[in-house]
Amino acid sequence: MHLPSPGRLAFGGLVSAAFALMLAPVAMVMVISIFAQEIVSFPPSGFTLEWYINAWQRQEFARGFLSSLQIATLATLIGVPLGTAAAFALVRAKPRGGSAMQTLLLGPLAVPGVVAGTALYMFYLRAEFWLDQDITSTLQGLVAAHVLLTIPWTVRLVTASLQGLDRAAEEAAANLGARPFTVFRRVTLPAMRPGIIAACLFSFIQSFENLELSLLLVGPGRTTLPVAMLNYLEFRMDPTLAAVATVQIILVAVLMLITDRFVSIARTV
Amino acid sequence: MAALVLPAGLLVSMLLVAPMLLLFRISLNLYSPTEMMVEATSAANYLRAVADPYYRQVLVTTLLVATGSTLLTLILAFPAAYWLARMQSRWKSFATVVVMFPLLVGNVVRAAGWLALLGNGGAINAALLGLGLIAAPLPLLYNTGSVVVGIVAVVLPYMILTLAAVIESIPRQAEEAASNLGARPLTVFRRVVLPLALPGVIAGCVLVFVLCMNTYASAVLLGGPQFKMMAPAVYDQFVRGNNWPFGAALAFILLGITLTLTVVGSAVLGRRYRRGKLEEAA
Repeated sequence: MHLPSPGRLAFGGLVSAAFALMLAPVAMVMVISIFAQEIVSFPPSGFTLEWYINAWQRQEFARGFLSSLQIATLATLIGVPLGTAAAFALVRAKPRGGSAMQTLLLGPLAVPGVVAGTALYMFYLRAEFWLDQDITSTLQGLVAAHVLLTIPWTVRLVTASLQGLDRAAEEAAANLGARPFTVFRRVTLPAMRPGIIAACLFSFIQSFENLELSLLLVGPGRTTLPVAMLNYLEFRMDPTLAAVATVQIILVAVLMLITDRFVSIARTV
Repeated sequence: MAALVLPAGLLVSMLLVAPMLLLFRISLNLYSPTEMMVEATSAANYLRAVADPYYRQVLVTTLLVATGSTLLTLILAFPAAYWLARMQSRWKSFATVVVMFPLLVGNVVRAAGWLALLGNGGAINAALLGLGLIAAPLPLLYNTGSVVVGIVAVVLPYMILTLAAVIESIPRQAEEAASNLGARPLTVFRRVVLPLALPGVIAGCVLVFVLCMNTYASAVLLGGPQFKMMAPAVYDQFVRGNNWPFGAALAFILLGITLTLTVVGSAVLGRRYRRGKLEEAA
């Protein structure tokens, strides 16, 4: 048996440090959420699940959670079909100006959230003035903003799955007598399916955890979970907040596990 | 069929392009304490952003924090990316998902974790006190260091995944050939792996630097009220200051730096890539 060389030790140390930095905060939140005492301190005086009940009884968290679920679901249901249609058109029809269009559709990823958020806020205020109707701090206003987050992810993921499809399979189906719609339903759509499922996962999570875009668009009576958490954390960090965060961690983990049954998540990036 | 691109295109034009044009127009207006905003075509807000010592300091802090965080991220991410890329067991896709997971959990949740780790009653201080290494809790939170740690943790997955994708495309034989010819591991890294992974290093650094520049949650929660970076400063103008034209100008300065870097980065990558292709053809 030989001792590991200093180089190997340094390599192992750096790899461990990277994983520790990424995972430690997530693990710590989960641990704190079951500590019995109200102020974060070690060692715990005992363990309890009462903070989860406490969190649900606080209106800002319960409402924020339901609101974020609703917004993320609606944004995904609207954005993924739009993005899928656009990706299909870009790959298949190869329209003139297609690459400019692609840049436009990926734009929401390139523009910093703070800039897009303030721009959208100003735009909504202007639109409210013209239309004489509330847009900021409404469900519609937030869903519209979050659809913007879902489009680039969908275009990217569905484009990738379409580029992997061999046109010969579609031609074979057509030559065997399948009508165009049948070819689309039986050959093209199944090929796009992994991309669409991955797009749903990423869209939902991007919307659910989004902070920057929502920050100026929330208002009295309509907030999102990340904004509610941020406002709370500016004053204190306690097991109640850790419980809320743990629920979000578990939600993301469950969504990833479900998605992984249909499509290998590791291969989507 | 090409028309299928229109709904998404219209939506992005209406909810991103139009609002940004409006924000740019607002950045040329002037602030008035009585009327909020006066129509004008003036560069005064941009000039103030670079001339005012407070905002110049905010910009300098942001650039320094982003540079430091990017370098630290690169140093930490490279070994992890190499390890991930060269992994051959069936755990590889699991390890990839483990890297992606924190990315999907959200910045606010992870900032909460750092508050619980670094706070006065937090895990690290409790451990040090318990071991008798310190007599009073160390002030680990609300300084530049805690912000950098928070940011590095947030951007590490992006860097690791970007680098791993490039390292995976480097043939193992290149490394084996070098070490068979007597190169030590560090030389193999310096002369073979690093040069071949350079496109990934550039792409990863540009992506991560841009993300660092635009940090919001980590700066606000881990830096405390005294610590100011660009993104929180932009929001302050809209939430507290009500000086929309100046806030808009700050936003466009941030966007300008971000887009310039992205464009320069992809131009450098594009040139390298084409040159590589030419050498291949010749």
